[in-house]
Amino acid sequence: MKCGMDPELAMFEQTVLDFASKELLDSRQENDRFPFGPLFSDVLAKARAVGFFSATMPEELDGSEMGTTELCLLLESLSRVDASLAGVVFTDTLAKEIVYRARGFLRLKELTGKVSEPGGSLFAFPSQSDPADCTGITAEPEAEESYALSGKADYVVLGGIADSAVLPVRTGDGFSLFTVDLAGEGIGISEPVLSLGLHACPAVDITLDGASGLLVGDEGQGAEYLRRVEGRMNAACAAMSLGVMKGAFEEAVAYAKERQQGGREIVNWSEVRRMLARMAVKLKAADMIVAELCRSAEDNEPGWEMGSRVAALFAGEASVELTRDGIQVLGGNGYMEDYGQEKRFRDAGQIRSLMGLAPIRELKLMESYLAGEPLY
Amino acid sequence: MFAHDGNSEVLEREPRFDDITCSLRSVSKLPRGVFSETRQVIAEARRFNEEVVRPRALELDRKKHEDPDYLPWDLVEEANRRGFYSMFIPKLFGGHGMNMPALSYMLEEIGSGCTAISNLVGVHYLGIATLCGSWNTRLMNKIMRDVAAGEKSGKPCLVSLAITEPGAGTDTEELELISRAKVTCHAERVPGGYRVNGRKIFISNGHLSTWHITIGYSDLDNPADTMVMMAIRTDMDGFSFGRQEHKMGQKGCPASELIFEDCFVPDELVCFDAQQAARYARPMAKITMQVLDYVLSASRAGVGAFGTGVARGAYEEALRFARETEVEGKLLINHEWAQCALAEMYKNVALARLSYIETNYANGMYGLFKVLHYKPIFYFMKYAPQSLVDAFLEPLVDLDFVTWLFRKIYFDWQKEAEYERTSGWASLSKFSATDAGERNSELALELMGGAGVRTDQVAEKHLRDSKLLQIYEGTNQLNRLNLFKCMIGRSAPEAKVFED
Repeated sequence: MKCGMDPELAMFEQTVLDFASKELLDSRQENDRFPFGPLFSDVLAKARAVGFFSATMPEELDGSEMGTTELCLLLESLSRVDASLAGVVFTDTLAKEIVYRARGFLRLKELTGKVSEPGGSLFAFPSQSDPADCTGITAEPEAEESYALSGKADYVVLGGIADSAVLPVRTGDGFSLFTVDLAGEGIGISEPVLSLGLHACPAVDITLDGASGLLVGDEGQGAEYLRRVEGRMNAACAAMSLGVMKGAFEEAVAYAKERQQGGREIVNWSEVRRMLARMAVKLKAADMIVAELCRSAEDNEPGWEMGSRVAALFAGEASVELTRDGIQVLGGNGYMEDYGQEKRFRDAGQIRSLMGLAPIRELKLMESYLAGEPLY
Repeated sequence: MFAHDGNSEVLEREPRFDDITCSLRSVSKLPRGVFSETRQVIAEARRFNEEVVRPRALELDRKKHEDPDYLPWDLVEEANRRGFYSMFIPKLFGGHGMNMPALSYMLEEIGSGCTAISNLVGVHYLGIATLCGSWNTRLMNKIMRDVAAGEKSGKPCLVSLAITEPGAGTDTEELELISRAKVTCHAERVPGGYRVNGRKIFISNGHLSTWHITIGYSDLDNPADTMVMMAIRTDMDGFSFGRQEHKMGQKGCPASELIFEDCFVPDELVCFDAQQAARYARPMAKITMQVLDYVLSASRAGVGAFGTGVARGAYEEALRFARETEVEGKLLINHEWAQCALAEMYKNVALARLSYIETNYANGMYGLFKVLHYKPIFYFMKYAPQSLVDAFLEPLVDLDFVTWLFRKIYFDWQKEAEYERTSGWASLSKFSATDAGERNSELALELMGGAGVRTDQVAEKHLRDSKLLQIYEGTNQLNRLNLFKCMIGRSAPEAKVFED
């Protein structure tokens, strides 16, 4: 994302890129072998040490107090090299933001204060789903905020490494959010679920059999708490897609300048050059959208959240298209794990499905517009 | 009332009558037995799909993910036991003699469950088709009878095609490009044969194959005029396997590196070279392109069938998901947008299928299997007892005269317009059906959202598998250019292809 003339942001972006190049680039393929290879715990520890986790939380919660722009820059720069760590940061931030915006400061203080393992400070969340469709768990009240939870939560991201999870549970006409101690009684955690992309940002299925859950905020207010964080997290999705696009574009151009076909570099064949141009158009458009989104978010312009939904949808689709062409430019090599393109294509598809079905998110966007929310 | 004068001239205008009526022209000439055979083949493929492919596709993908060097011998042996590797080999060469277009239907069926397993069967016929493209009937008989013997003994004998090199992929499939390509697989002429040095990469089924139909070049600076097609056995001195590639998808079908180090290939294993080409009308470079066109026109229809299969597999997973998943309080299948998305996917499957069917009609009329579709030959081969074929016909194929005759028919008597037609249709099918496969896989993921990215929901595997189809057998960009060259550029004399 274009950082304008802000030297602090430019320095921050460079710092993250340096971190990603140093800690992620060379081990990208090996890290992506998880769960058939080790999890990159050392990288998680370093990411925690430099303040990537709890990114948007206040200092009292061990956070870095990042605004939307810094969060987007962080996720975009990580994704440019390897989106898995960005997926970890995204899920952790989403879960903690929801609790925090639901007046859960004390809960967060308590939960984040007692962890020791690097992954333990993370929060897990089913970030690939729309919480409104999480119908697999029932809640029985026990005492004050405490409920007994039973059922199954599918695809809880970071559920295998975090100490705590935030789980949506259908209550009455709406849904409520609960924090759950993943080491507690009545919790069953599956083996890591194999998935399309973001392999080093693993997910598990969780079964609950009368497990203790603590209500976040008020009962039935899950949708409202989610709405409060939606703008920032949609921007985060768009930034991740943008980072993946940049990585794919850069590798495609570098390869096209080297690889020969018919006796000359493929960048000089006009069809290949046009493919690269189409990639450039999508990339630049997404870049401008995310930059403008961050500016409007920082200025708290009325309706900026609507723009964030558009940005996530646009960048998600564009990144799948761009990374698909990114493989194609490299031909057979692009399909092999030795290059970064196939992973970016898979990661782009995974990122696109964050926060629920894209068509439903499109329908909800239109619903908001028809209800009077301004689009432009 | 109707004018007849000048019809020929009118019908020669683009789109040419002969190009758009391959199926219409074929119908009356096609033996009826083709229908019943195809019915049988599809039934066999569906049984294989239900009993083997669908239950084991995810397990195979996972095993290969866990251990990139794993080889799926159990699946190959099962396909061999069911007769799949000699099913489409003519009875003259010891096979079951099913008609070749039925292979495409089979590949679609298996591909709807798993493209990798479909490749374990289909790529073997790419090797067979290349061997047949040389029309060296003595070698064809030797190798295809090895395949048939492998079926009887229970030890599969597969055939691969080794053409792609580290520095030349797409280049090796187009005459105009290969003359400028950086090829390195050197077949040096030595007394009694060729000495081969070099590497081939991305060779599908390489580690599983016994025979490798290998393309080398006796002059690396002039590959278009010096192509050498050889049959190389895995146990020959100087041949070895390199690594298996680590692919994004189609993991169950190995992509192998083949290494040739002073590998001596005797003359009796040379399928075709410039010396053999000297007996025929066209120059070597033209015949090389003709051979490639025969092979690619058949194999690209097969890749179109893979594309159709994966498009169908993705559609079927999306439909299953829509029928059992509630979104916003009602089943997804009852959302109007989802119904339109499913209809779009169904359309993609149907049009992809039509494209490979039409290509095979063209191949049956003008391409690789035109002789086999000639009714008297078809019925004789279908109903003649195998013992009779072996006793009286098999000895004939070792005669040089038979090779010469087939090459006369296929090399000298084939008109340019005929191989342009088959090649053009094959490219159209290849890029249309594989684009449809990739598109449907993306649509399935879009419709399934978070569930779609889970491997156990299968759709994401279809997406990973589908992407390779847009790359191999000539990238879809190359196939677009080939379509332009064959069907469009020929009527635009000012057009120059591959001279951007």
